[in-house]
Amino acid sequence: MSRLRRFLRTPEALAGAILLAVLFAMALSASLLFPGDPQAIAGPALLPPFQNWSLPLGTDRLGRDVLVELFHGARTSLAVGLAAAATALVIGAVVGTLAGFAGGLVDEVLMRITDAFQTVPGFLLALAFVSVVGPSLGVVVVAIALGTWTGPARIARAEVLSIRERDYVAGARVIGMHPLEIAFREVLPNALPPVLAMSSVIVAAAILTEAALSFLGLGDPNRVTWGGMIAEGRTVLRTAPFLSIVPGIALLLTVLGVYLAGEGIVETTAVRRGLS
Amino acid sequence: MTVLASIRDLAVTYRRDGSEVAALRNINLDIIAGERLAIIGESGSGKSTLALAIAGLLPQSARTEGSIEWISQPLSGAKAPPSVLPDISPSRGEIGSSAAGSFQPTSAPTSSAIGESGNRRTISPLEGEMSGRTEGGLVGRRGQESASKPNHNLLLGRDIGFVFQDPSASLDPVMAIGKQIAEVVHTHLGLDWRQSFAKAITLLERVRLPDPDSALHAFPHQLSGGQKQRVAIAAAIAAGPKLLIADEATSALDTIVQAEIVALIRRLVAEDGMTLLFISHDIALAAELAERIAVFRHGELIELGGTGQIVNAPTQAYTRALLDAHIGLDAAPLLNRNGLNA
Amino acid sequence: MSLLTVSNLTKRYSRGGKTLAAVDDVSFHMEPGETLALAGPSGSGKSTIARLVLRLIEPDGGRIEFEGDDFLTLRGAPLRARRGRLQMVFQDPLAAFNPRATVARVLDDPLRIHGVASRSERPRRIAALLERVGLAADLAPRAIHEISGGQRQRVAIARAIATKPSLIVLDEAVSALDVSVRGQILSLLLDLQRQERIAYLFISHDLGVVRAVAHRVILLDAGQIAESGDARAVIDAPQSAIGKALVAAAPKLNRNRP
Repeated sequence: MSRLRRFLRTPEALAGAILLAVLFAMALSASLLFPGDPQAIAGPALLPPFQNWSLPLGTDRLGRDVLVELFHGARTSLAVGLAAAATALVIGAVVGTLAGFAGGLVDEVLMRITDAFQTVPGFLLALAFVSVVGPSLGVVVVAIALGTWTGPARIARAEVLSIRERDYVAGARVIGMHPLEIAFREVLPNALPPVLAMSSVIVAAAILTEAALSFLGLGDPNRVTWGGMIAEGRTVLRTAPFLSIVPGIALLLTVLGVYLAGEGIVETTAVRRGLS
Repeated sequence: MTVLASIRDLAVTYRRDGSEVAALRNINLDIIAGERLAIIGESGSGKSTLALAIAGLLPQSARTEGSIEWISQPLSGAKAPPSVLPDISPSRGEIGSSAAGSFQPTSAPTSSAIGESGNRRTISPLEGEMSGRTEGGLVGRRGQESASKPNHNLLLGRDIGFVFQDPSASLDPVMAIGKQIAEVVHTHLGLDWRQSFAKAITLLERVRLPDPDSALHAFPHQLSGGQKQRVAIAAAIAAGPKLLIADEATSALDTIVQAEIVALIRRLVAEDGMTLLFISHDIALAAELAERIAVFRHGELIELGGTGQIVNAPTQAYTRALLDAHIGLDAAPLLNRNGLNA
Repeated sequence: MSLLTVSNLTKRYSRGGKTLAAVDDVSFHMEPGETLALAGPSGSGKSTIARLVLRLIEPDGGRIEFEGDDFLTLRGAPLRARRGRLQMVFQDPLAAFNPRATVARVLDDPLRIHGVASRSERPRRIAALLERVGLAADLAPRAIHEISGGQRQRVAIARAIATKPSLIVLDEAVSALDVSVRGQILSLLLDLQRQERIAYLFISHDLGVVRAVAHRVILLDAGQIAESGDARAVIDAPQSAIGKALVAAAPKLNRNRP
């Protein structure tokens, strides 16, 4: 409890937490507040914001309600961002732990694979993957994770390399514990904190990548996404700039919120480590 | 017999996660100039807290009560043998209540004391970056806050040398050891860099580091544990401190190296007329080196006396228990020798 | 039959292009229920020998026979199974346990891994182990970092004896403890040895303790055996240079005994 209080005491963390709370509220309430198809036509096309109070943010080129799209887009952004980051962290932690703990040939092979992934820009990798497999939510998640797991893998490996020399790992070997159990039960949990510290950056990057893919028309076509909304608005950028600006601001605030909250967590844990 | 420092009603409390832990309670102790005083105790006895309190190295979260008063020779004359010091005991109270945070030479007029205090301020920005290093930083700031707080008005590095248990932690791993020692000399004695490095070579010779000229350019990781501790000692005595504090300085070393380091400390203290505060958990080691022994337990000073008295006629049961727990080369075997064939 | 026979054991390290022998052609043997001390200055190779015997590191040469088997040829599952017979207690009891562990988990692991007791039976066995090393059974749910250093070392001993080993390597196992606790831990160890006939490979730099608890001693210097024999005989009258230096360096408490 005191950790939460300490977390909320830093102003950045508080701001981040509020932004994220609003975002989650939007995502969770989307189908409650706006049941039905968010892509249904709700009124006249290209209605500017604040003109009609039943359509407060106006409508797009096809007459769809921008507010409804924004709420449903929050869902996609958060779901894809979190799922992709979680996938990347799990792959990274497992690969890094195996490489660091096993050493030798296993380490060599896994780290060369990591190098291979790291040398290709993550976005290109995601782009190529989605264009080959075809766009759907699951594919987009995997595509983003493919480009981001290498960072966590390297950090986990470095951490594991130092932990595996500790006495308690020797102690686990002495009592005859299986190497895989040592790696994942004794070593990995203690190697996680610095890896998790990266998670905010990864989530933010994943949300942006998802938006970029959608912008290029490689998002899941059956879902509203902020990236897709920006792309939609691009064709009428001169006459109806709000169609791009509204989802753009939402994206900005989301990434900012994730980043600030993540920084706050790192700060709080760093303070704790400094005290102990 | 001159008192160097007079500790009165010292109490130190650490705050940790909301709760308060008393590390030291009601300590009254006079450190006599030129003596070798051992502080012994088990873990949690408060012996290291006492060392840190005297050096002014306690963490910010620690709360201190009581006073540590320094009564000694003028700043520049650090090498003056204790025997020629003027008897300054009558003015002790005066110094203790001084809130200026400066080291006041009792025999000098007040104006000189102010000069010294101004001089000290100019060094003070170093405190943050240097604390925790062997040479440490300034230890005078807190004197201004309240007269009831311990009056740290000796300068760590110049007036107090501190040797920690783990020399790797107190030496900068990426700085050549010659530079680390020369830096102390340069900072505290005001010599130029060439003179400082010359002095560093002399110091490395004094701590008997083999081949001091090339050792000057060595990095800590190239030295053995014992050699690193010799370097840490060289840095601690570089500015000619009056008081040398060795906090478990030999505990991480093996027996043979420990004996060498203890002999080194004994020789340096004698040559420079330093006062030695030797913090240890090992009563036998303390008895070999110290003239007086203070026994600490659970944050309290439970017995203080001459080494002979403590070892041969302890008044406290705990001291006797510590002595009995020592397993020397003449101890009765614990082993049932028949056990093997039984 | 000897419990442990070590022949011509060698371990080399290369540092900065030079090859150093941490353990250089060391041979010794141990009988069941015996305490053999390895003493010497730091860098003499005593801890390396301990880790070689435990198969935590692999030697560059030599043979280790444990309970009649060629211990160095064991790999994988057979090696892990045999580890129950050969245990270790570390110097720093805090570093020897996973920082997230509880007392119960630390003791549960060996019982589970070696199938000593079924899942339902294990809590009872853990309580019995704790009592065996002089701890209260209600210590089990506590986190390792919450208990005192002496209690931790008792838990380490309880873990070591959980699988009924014939040999325990004690790597400076009492050096980091307060003197008052050290005596208690030593008598616990001797008590266990008497009752269970456990042999100890006792690694220490403290000749006083070695003399008090070991049957035999091997004095090591720079990876080689400098001197060996009956612990008291060797320490009371060392013949080797390193033996003389170690004895001379040991702190002595000159008490006037009544």
